[in-house]
Amino acid sequence: MIHQDDAQSRYERFLETYLSGELKLVNAGLPRARKSLADLLQEDQPSVLCSDGSQQLIKRAELRYLQGLLDEDEQRMLMLPILIEMTGSGNDAIVLCPTEAEAKVVAEVLGMTPRQEEPGRVRVYRPQLSVLRRKLRTTTQYAFSVRALE
Amino acid sequence: MAQIMKVRPTKIELVRLKRRLKLSSRVQKIVKDRLSILTMEFLQAARDTVKAKQHAIDAMNQAYKAMTIASGYHGYVALQKELVACEADITVAAGPRSVAGVRLPSLELNEPTGGLRGYNLTQTSSLVDSASDTSREALRAIIELAELQRGLELLGTEINRTKRITNALEYILIPSLQATIRFLAMKFEERDREEKARLKRVKALLAAKEA
Repeated sequence: MIHQDDAQSRYERFLETYLSGELKLVNAGLPRARKSLADLLQEDQPSVLCSDGSQQLIKRAELRYLQGLLDEDEQRMLMLPILIEMTGSGNDAIVLCPTEAEAKVVAEVLGMTPRQEEPGRVRVYRPQLSVLRRKLRTTTQYAFSVRALE
Repeated sequence: MAQIMKVRPTKIELVRLKRRLKLSSRVQKIVKDRLSILTMEFLQAARDTVKAKQHAIDAMNQAYKAMTIASGYHGYVALQKELVACEADITVAAGPRSVAGVRLPSLELNEPTGGLRGYNLTQTSSLVDSASDTSREALRAIIELAELQRGLELLGTEINRTKRITNALEYILIPSLQATIRFLAMKFEERDREEKARLKRVKALLAAKEA
Protein backbone atom coordinates (compact mmCIF):
# COMPACT_ATOMS: atom_id res chain seq x y z
CA MET A 1 0.00 0.00 0.00
CA ILE A 2 2.83 2.32 0.86
CA HIS A 3 4.45 1.46 -2.46
CA GLN A 4 1.29 2.25 -4.40
CA ASP A 5 0.83 5.60 -2.64
CA ASP A 6 4.43 6.42 -3.30
CA ALA A 7 4.07 5.53 -6.98
CA GLN A 8 0.98 7.69 -7.31
CA SER A 9 2.53 10.70 -5.66
CA ARG A 10 5.57 10.19 -7.88
CA TYR A 11 3.26 10.17 -10.91
CA GLU A 12 1.58 13.39 -9.81
CA ARG A 13 4.93 14.96 -9.10
CA PHE A 14 6.05 13.96 -12.59
CA LEU A 15 2.97 15.60 -14.15
CA GLU A 16 3.44 18.74 -12.04
CA THR A 17 7.11 18.89 -12.97
CA TYR A 18 6.28 18.33 -16.62
CA LEU A 19 3.67 21.11 -16.61
CA SER A 20 5.99 23.60 -14.93
CA GLY A 21 8.87 22.45 -17.16
CA GLU A 22 6.76 22.90 -20.28
CA LEU A 23 5.67 26.37 -19.12
CA LYS A 24 9.30 27.24 -18.42
CA LEU A 25 10.37 25.90 -21.80
CA VAL A 26 7.74 27.72 -23.85
CA ASN A 27 8.38 30.94 -21.94
CA ALA A 28 12.17 30.67 -22.11
CA GLY A 29 12.29 33.39 -24.75
CA LEU A 30 10.43 35.96 -22.66
CA PRO A 31 12.53 39.02 -21.91
CA ARG A 32 13.71 39.75 -18.37
CA ALA A 33 13.52 43.45 -19.14
CA ARG A 34 12.22 45.02 -22.29
CA LYS A 35 14.00 47.82 -24.07
CA SER A 36 12.58 50.76 -25.96
CA LEU A 37 12.96 51.01 -29.73
CA ALA A 38 14.93 54.23 -29.31
CA ASP A 39 17.42 52.47 -26.99
CA LEU A 40 17.78 49.44 -29.24
CA LEU A 41 18.49 51.65 -32.24
CA GLN A 42 21.47 53.10 -30.35
CA GLU A 43 22.99 49.67 -29.63
CA ASP A 44 25.75 48.17 -31.81
CA GLN A 45 24.29 44.70 -31.47
CA PRO A 46 20.62 45.10 -30.50
CA SER A 47 19.57 42.32 -28.14
CA VAL A 48 17.47 41.65 -25.06
CA LEU A 49 18.18 39.34 -22.13
CA CYS A 50 15.76 36.40 -21.94
CA SER A 51 14.37 34.67 -18.87
CA ASP A 52 16.63 31.64 -19.46
CA GLY A 53 19.70 33.88 -19.42
CA SER A 54 20.30 33.88 -23.17
CA GLN A 55 20.52 36.96 -25.34
CA GLN A 56 17.94 37.30 -28.09
CA LEU A 57 19.31 39.10 -31.11
CA ILE A 58 17.01 41.71 -32.63
CA LYS A 59 17.40 42.36 -36.30
CA ARG A 60 18.36 45.84 -37.38
CA ALA A 61 16.16 45.58 -40.47
CA GLU A 62 13.10 45.11 -38.24
CA LEU A 63 14.13 48.00 -36.01
CA ARG A 64 14.51 50.23 -39.04
CA TYR A 65 11.09 49.10 -40.27
CA LEU A 66 9.53 50.01 -36.91
CA GLN A 67 11.42 53.29 -36.88
CA GLY A 68 9.75 54.16 -40.16
CA LEU A 69 6.30 53.55 -38.68
CA LEU A 70 6.64 55.63 -35.53
CA ASP A 71 7.58 59.17 -34.58
CA GLU A 72 10.30 59.92 -32.01
CA ASP A 73 8.01 59.97 -28.96
CA GLU A 74 6.46 56.68 -29.97
CA GLN A 75 9.92 55.19 -30.55
CA ARG A 76 10.72 55.96 -26.92
CA MET A 77 7.37 54.49 -25.80
CA LEU A 78 7.51 51.25 -27.79
CA MET A 79 8.97 48.48 -25.65
CA LEU A 80 10.45 45.49 -27.46
CA PRO A 81 9.87 42.63 -27.94
CA ILE A 82 6.11 43.01 -28.27
CA LEU A 83 4.44 40.19 -26.32
CA ILE A 84 1.79 37.96 -27.87
CA GLU A 85 -0.21 36.08 -25.24
CA MET A 86 -1.65 32.75 -26.32
CA THR A 87 -5.25 32.35 -25.23
CA GLY A 88 -5.35 28.56 -25.30
CA SER A 89 -8.17 28.52 -27.87
CA GLY A 90 -5.77 27.88 -30.75
CA ASN A 91 -7.59 30.32 -33.05
CA ASP A 92 -6.52 33.66 -31.73
CA ALA A 93 -4.02 35.46 -29.56
CA ILE A 94 -3.76 38.69 -27.60
CA VAL A 95 -1.12 41.28 -28.38
CA LEU A 96 -0.23 43.11 -25.19
CA CYS A 97 -0.25 46.82 -25.93
CA PRO A 98 0.52 48.82 -22.77
CA THR A 99 1.02 51.98 -24.86
CA GLU A 100 -0.46 53.42 -28.03
CA ALA A 101 2.77 52.68 -29.90
CA GLU A 102 2.28 48.88 -29.81
CA ALA A 103 -1.33 49.20 -31.03
CA LYS A 104 -0.17 51.49 -33.84
CA VAL A 105 2.52 49.02 -34.92
CA VAL A 106 0.01 46.15 -34.99
CA ALA A 107 -2.47 48.26 -36.97
CA GLU A 108 0.20 49.36 -39.45
CA VAL A 109 1.61 45.87 -39.97
CA LEU A 110 -1.82 44.31 -40.47
CA GLY A 111 -3.12 47.24 -42.51
CA MET A 112 -6.25 47.44 -40.36
CA THR A 113 -7.25 48.27 -36.81
CA PRO A 114 -7.78 45.00 -34.98
CA ARG A 115 -10.35 44.42 -32.25
CA GLN A 116 -9.39 45.83 -28.86
CA GLU A 117 -11.54 44.10 -26.25
CA GLU A 118 -9.94 45.58 -23.16
CA PRO A 119 -7.58 48.53 -23.00
CA GLY A 120 -4.07 47.35 -23.79
CA ARG A 121 -5.14 43.96 -25.17
CA VAL A 122 -5.54 43.63 -28.93
CA ARG A 123 -7.05 40.40 -30.23
CA VAL A 124 -5.52 39.03 -33.43
CA TYR A 125 -6.67 35.94 -35.33
CA ARG A 126 -4.48 33.17 -36.72
CA PRO A 127 -3.93 34.60 -40.25
CA GLN A 128 -3.18 38.02 -38.76
CA LEU A 129 -0.79 36.45 -36.28
CA SER A 130 1.03 34.81 -39.16
CA VAL A 131 1.43 38.18 -40.93
CA LEU A 132 2.58 39.87 -37.73
CA ARG A 133 5.17 37.16 -36.99
CA ARG A 134 6.42 37.16 -40.55
CA LYS A 135 7.16 40.88 -40.52
CA LEU A 136 8.34 41.11 -36.91
CA ARG A 137 10.20 37.85 -36.37
CA THR A 138 12.62 38.96 -33.66
CA THR A 139 10.69 41.93 -32.27
CA THR A 140 7.67 39.88 -31.16
CA GLN A 141 7.60 37.03 -28.66
CA TYR A 142 5.01 34.44 -27.65
CA ALA A 143 3.93 34.28 -24.02
CA PHE A 144 2.04 31.31 -22.60
CA SER A 145 0.23 32.11 -19.37
CA VAL A 146 -1.36 29.79 -16.83
CA ARG A 147 -4.41 32.06 -16.89
CA ALA A 148 -5.06 30.96 -20.47
CA LEU A 149 -5.20 27.35 -19.34
CA GLU A 150 -7.95 27.87 -16.79
CA MET B 1 -10.75 1.07 -25.88
CA ALA B 2 -9.03 2.90 -23.08
CA GLN B 3 -7.26 0.75 -20.52
CA ILE B 4 -8.48 0.92 -16.92
CA MET B 5 -5.69 1.56 -14.44
CA LYS B 6 -4.99 -0.80 -11.57
CA VAL B 7 -6.03 1.29 -8.58
CA ARG B 8 -7.66 0.66 -5.20
CA PRO B 9 -11.39 1.34 -5.41
CA THR B 10 -11.54 4.03 -2.73
CA LYS B 11 -13.02 7.52 -2.70
CA ILE B 12 -9.63 9.07 -2.01
CA GLU B 13 -8.32 7.34 -5.11
CA LEU B 14 -11.19 8.81 -7.14
CA VAL B 15 -10.33 12.30 -5.90
CA ARG B 16 -6.69 11.71 -6.81
CA LEU B 17 -7.59 10.50 -10.29
CA LYS B 18 -9.82 13.52 -10.88
CA ARG B 19 -6.98 15.81 -9.82
CA ARG B 20 -4.62 13.95 -12.12
CA LEU B 21 -7.08 14.28 -15.02
CA LYS B 22 -7.36 18.03 -14.48
CA LEU B 23 -3.59 18.35 -14.46
CA SER B 24 -3.21 16.20 -17.57
CA SER B 25 -5.82 18.29 -19.40
CA ARG B 26 -3.89 21.44 -18.57
CA VAL B 27 -0.67 19.90 -19.85
CA GLN B 28 -2.48 18.79 -23.00
CA LYS B 29 -3.85 22.28 -23.60
CA ILE B 30 -0.46 23.90 -23.38
CA VAL B 31 1.22 21.24 -25.53
CA LYS B 32 -1.53 21.54 -28.16
CA ASP B 33 -1.21 25.32 -28.20
CA ARG B 34 2.52 24.97 -28.60
CA LEU B 35 2.10 22.46 -31.41
CA SER B 36 -0.25 24.76 -33.33
CA ILE B 37 2.21 27.65 -32.97
CA LEU B 38 5.12 25.49 -34.11
CA THR B 39 3.14 24.23 -37.10
CA MET B 40 2.21 27.77 -38.09
CA GLU B 41 5.83 28.88 -37.80
CA PHE B 42 6.99 25.80 -39.73
CA LEU B 43 4.62 26.48 -42.63
CA GLN B 44 5.65 30.12 -42.66
CA ALA B 45 9.33 29.14 -42.60
CA ALA B 46 8.76 26.65 -45.44
CA ARG B 47 7.12 29.31 -47.61
CA ASP B 48 9.88 31.82 -46.77
CA THR B 49 12.59 29.23 -47.48
CA VAL B 50 11.25 28.61 -50.98
CA LYS B 51 11.22 32.35 -51.66
CA ALA B 52 14.64 32.86 -50.08
CA LYS B 53 16.12 30.03 -52.13
CA GLN B 54 14.81 31.51 -55.37
CA HIS B 55 16.03 34.94 -54.29
CA ALA B 56 19.50 33.55 -53.48
CA ILE B 57 19.75 31.84 -56.88
CA ASP B 58 18.66 35.01 -58.69
CA ALA B 59 21.00 37.19 -56.64
CA MET B 60 23.96 34.90 -57.33
CA ASN B 61 23.14 34.83 -61.03
CA GLN B 62 23.07 38.60 -61.15
CA ALA B 63 26.27 38.89 -59.12
CA TYR B 64 28.07 36.45 -61.39
CA LYS B 65 26.87 38.27 -64.52
CA ALA B 66 27.84 41.68 -63.11
CA MET B 67 31.28 40.39 -62.13
CA THR B 68 31.80 38.84 -65.59
CA ILE B 69 30.88 42.10 -67.33
CA ALA B 70 33.12 44.12 -64.98
CA SER B 71 36.08 41.79 -65.51
CA GLY B 72 35.47 41.86 -69.26
CA TYR B 73 35.52 45.65 -69.26
CA HIS B 74 38.49 46.21 -66.95
CA GLY B 75 40.39 43.03 -67.54
CA TYR B 76 40.68 40.27 -65.00
CA VAL B 77 44.11 41.27 -63.69
CA ALA B 78 43.25 44.95 -63.30
CA LEU B 79 40.02 44.12 -61.54
CA GLN B 80 41.74 41.71 -59.20
CA LYS B 81 44.35 44.36 -58.38
CA GLU B 82 41.59 46.79 -57.41
CA LEU B 83 39.59 44.30 -55.44
CA VAL B 84 42.50 42.81 -53.49
CA ALA B 85 42.85 46.09 -51.62
CA CYS B 86 39.24 46.11 -50.44
CA GLU B 87 39.11 42.53 -49.17
CA ALA B 88 37.49 42.46 -45.77
CA ASP B 89 36.27 39.79 -43.41
CA ILE B 90 32.56 39.24 -43.45
CA THR B 91 31.02 39.60 -40.02
CA VAL B 92 27.66 38.09 -39.28
CA ALA B 93 25.74 38.86 -36.11
CA ALA B 94 24.46 35.55 -34.83
CA GLY B 95 22.31 34.71 -31.86
CA PRO B 96 19.41 32.54 -30.86
CA ARG B 97 15.75 33.47 -31.02
CA SER B 98 13.17 31.46 -29.19
CA VAL B 99 9.88 30.42 -30.78
CA ALA B 100 7.63 28.69 -28.25
CA GLY B 101 10.65 27.11 -26.58
CA VAL B 102 12.57 26.21 -29.73
CA ARG B 103 15.87 28.02 -30.08
CA LEU B 104 16.29 29.01 -33.71
CA PRO B 105 19.32 30.75 -35.18
CA SER B 106 19.11 34.40 -36.05
CA LEU B 107 21.71 35.68 -38.50
CA GLU B 108 22.29 39.15 -39.87
CA LEU B 109 25.07 40.44 -42.08
CA ASN B 110 26.88 43.36 -40.48
CA GLU B 111 26.90 46.14 -43.05
CA PRO B 112 30.07 48.23 -43.27
CA THR B 113 29.57 51.75 -41.95
CA GLY B 114 30.52 54.90 -43.82
CA GLY B 115 29.51 53.65 -47.25
CA LEU B 116 33.12 53.32 -48.50
CA ARG B 117 33.68 50.55 -51.00
CA GLY B 118 37.42 50.19 -50.49
CA TYR B 119 38.52 50.37 -54.10
CA ASN B 120 39.55 53.39 -56.14
CA LEU B 121 36.39 54.99 -57.48
CA THR B 122 38.22 57.19 -59.99
CA GLN B 123 39.91 54.27 -61.75
CA THR B 124 36.97 51.91 -61.88
CA SER B 125 33.67 52.09 -63.69
CA SER B 126 30.12 51.80 -62.42
CA LEU B 127 30.24 48.16 -63.54
CA VAL B 128 32.44 47.37 -60.52
CA ASP B 129 29.97 49.21 -58.27
CA SER B 130 27.16 47.13 -59.71
CA ALA B 131 29.17 43.91 -59.21
CA SER B 132 29.88 44.93 -55.61
CA ASP B 133 26.21 45.71 -54.90
CA THR B 134 24.88 42.50 -56.43
CA SER B 135 27.55 40.43 -54.63
CA ARG B 136 26.55 41.94 -51.31
CA GLU B 137 22.91 41.22 -52.08
CA ALA B 138 23.82 37.60 -52.90
CA LEU B 139 25.64 37.33 -49.57
CA ARG B 140 22.63 38.72 -47.74
CA ALA B 141 20.37 36.23 -49.52
CA ILE B 142 22.64 33.28 -48.63
CA ILE B 143 22.67 34.27 -44.96
CA GLU B 144 18.89 34.60 -44.91
CA LEU B 145 18.53 31.21 -46.57
CA ALA B 146 20.91 29.59 -44.05
CA GLU B 147 18.89 30.99 -41.16
CA LEU B 148 15.58 29.84 -42.59
CA GLN B 149 16.75 26.34 -43.54
CA ARG B 150 18.26 25.61 -40.14
CA GLY B 151 15.15 27.00 -38.47
CA LEU B 152 12.99 24.76 -40.63
CA GLU B 153 14.96 21.65 -39.57
CA LEU B 154 14.78 22.52 -35.88
CA LEU B 155 11.07 23.30 -36.05
CA GLY B 156 10.39 20.01 -37.84
CA THR B 157 12.20 18.00 -35.15
CA GLU B 158 10.38 19.80 -32.35
CA ILE B 159 6.99 19.35 -34.05
CA ASN B 160 7.60 15.58 -34.19
CA ARG B 161 8.49 15.46 -30.49
CA THR B 162 5.54 17.60 -29.46
CA LYS B 163 3.16 15.57 -31.63
CA ARG B 164 4.22 12.36 -29.84
CA ILE B 165 3.52 13.96 -26.47
CA THR B 166 0.14 15.30 -27.62
CA ASN B 167 -0.86 11.90 -29.00
CA ALA B 168 0.21 10.12 -25.81
CA LEU B 169 -1.87 12.51 -23.75
CA GLU B 170 -4.85 12.55 -26.09
CA TYR B 171 -5.12 8.87 -26.94
CA ILE B 172 -3.60 7.04 -23.97
CA LEU B 173 -3.26 8.94 -20.71
CA ILE B 174 -6.44 11.05 -20.64
CA PRO B 175 -8.81 8.31 -21.96
CA SER B 176 -7.29 5.88 -19.46
CA LEU B 177 -7.85 8.31 -16.59
CA GLN B 178 -11.39 9.02 -17.75
CA ALA B 179 -12.16 5.30 -18.05
CA THR B 180 -10.77 4.60 -14.58
CA ILE B 181 -12.80 7.46 -13.07
CA ARG B 182 -15.93 6.15 -14.80
CA PHE B 183 -15.17 2.62 -13.57
CA LEU B 184 -14.68 3.78 -9.98
CA ALA B 185 -17.82 5.93 -10.06
CA MET B 186 -19.85 2.95 -11.31
CA LYS B 187 -18.30 0.74 -8.65
CA PHE B 188 -19.32 3.18 -5.90
CA GLU B 189 -22.85 3.43 -7.29
CA GLU B 190 -23.02 -0.37 -7.33
CA ARG B 191 -21.77 -0.45 -3.74
CA ASP B 192 -24.46 2.07 -2.73
CA ARG B 193 -27.15 -0.02 -4.40
CA GLU B 194 -25.88 -3.16 -2.65
CA GLU B 195 -25.91 -1.31 0.67
CA LYS B 196 -29.46 -0.15 0.08
CA ALA B 197 -30.61 -3.66 -0.85
CA ARG B 198 -28.88 -5.06 2.25
CA LEU B 199 -30.57 -2.51 4.49
CA LYS B 200 -33.96 -3.30 2.95
CA ARG B 201 -33.36 -7.01 3.52
CA VAL B 202 -32.32 -6.42 7.16
CA LYS B 203 -35.38 -4.18 7.66
CA ALA B 204 -37.63 -6.90 6.22
CA LEU B 205 -36.04 -9.54 8.46
CA LEU B 206 -36.45 -7.35 11.53
CA ALA B 207 -40.08 -6.66 10.61
CA ALA B 208 -40.69 -10.42 10.17
CA LYS B 209 -39.05 -11.12 13.55
CA GLU B 210 -41.21 -8.53 15.32
CA ALA B 211 -44.36 -9.88 13.69
